[in-house]
Amino acid sequence: MTDLTLDIPTLTTKRLILRAPQARDFDNVAHFFADADRSWGFGGPKDRTDAWRWFASMIGHWALHGFGFWMVDTRAGDPVGFVGLWAPEGWPEPELGWVMFEGTEGKGFAFEAAQEARRFAYEVLELGPLTSNIFPGNARSVALAERLGARFERSYDNVTHGTELVYRHPAPEDLEGAA
Amino acid sequence: MSLTLDIPVIETPRLTLRAFREDDLDVIAAFFADDRSRWVGGPKTRAESWRMISGSLGHWALRGYGMWLAADRISDTPVGAVGFLNPEDWDEPELGWHLYNGHEGRGLAHEAAEAARTYGAQHFGLTAPISYIVPDNARSIALATRLGATFEREGTVMGTPCHIYRHPRSGEGIQ
Repeated sequence: MTDLTLDIPTLTTKRLILRAPQARDFDNVAHFFADADRSWGFGGPKDRTDAWRWFASMIGHWALHGFGFWMVDTRAGDPVGFVGLWAPEGWPEPELGWVMFEGTEGKGFAFEAAQEARRFAYEVLELGPLTSNIFPGNARSVALAERLGARFERSYDNVTHGTELVYRHPAPEDLEGAA
Repeated sequence: MSLTLDIPVIETPRLTLRAFREDDLDVIAAFFADDRSRWVGGPKTRAESWRMISGSLGHWALRGYGMWLAADRISDTPVGAVGFLNPEDWDEPELGWHLYNGHEGRGLAHEAAEAARTYGAQHFGLTAPISYIVPDNARSIALATRLGATFEREGTVMGTPCHIYRHPRSGEGIQ
């Protein structure tokens, strides 16, 4: 027997818990992808079938790369979205990505979770200055990227999504509060 | 909180059935670039082939069973894929198989599918799975028949009309 245990760390912030995806998270993921207004900047909309394939692939991404998306809950256990590190085949380099579920925006949760995922990427995984690939016109995501200190670098042709804007995050040593 | 991927390794006389690895990608991408992959959802790009690998691993995590890569027992060269598929849009768990380019004609799919089916019955409770087969895939129909499966009904998978074959219940025609 090969026990391939996925060692997905649980990260905690002041208000949030970033944890391994579980089968029970699928309904929330499918609901997000079904909503074109929310998911167009994340490769959506997707029907439930395609959302399941994406979700399975996302879990497998952890197995292949040792990083991926964490499901984000409040400390009380309410799901708010998913945030993490993504580099499937064809991606130019690992990116930091974020999704907030309906009704969870405006509280700074995405910022708080993304900041923690980036810290983990730098301090534990020792990844280089991260990118975030953003669909042209996704002003909300651009605003968050900029709040995180990322700056527009270039546009490029993503293997899955077509034209995307690359935002470059500060290097580990340039982050505020860096040791 | 961790997530366990419990993917067993199965040995047959000529094959090792094991978890997919990222270094299988070249062989898998070549298969999915080829017209032969039309029977199993292809063709796919290299990027899509990678997502097939990651998705297969995630399938194990979500369902507790899934597809194995079938590798030559001595050289570890990937020769095909076999196992159980039950993504969101499937009617029920399916026993599926395909061989990568250049590995047909030696009974490897039969060897792999028989081993996977026996394992699934013993360990996953999958005692009489179906196999979805595109009606003009004569090779796959021949193998299903050789495995003792019989035509049960017509169906659709991923928008493609299929014939659904039913495998014999464990112990009935399976040693």
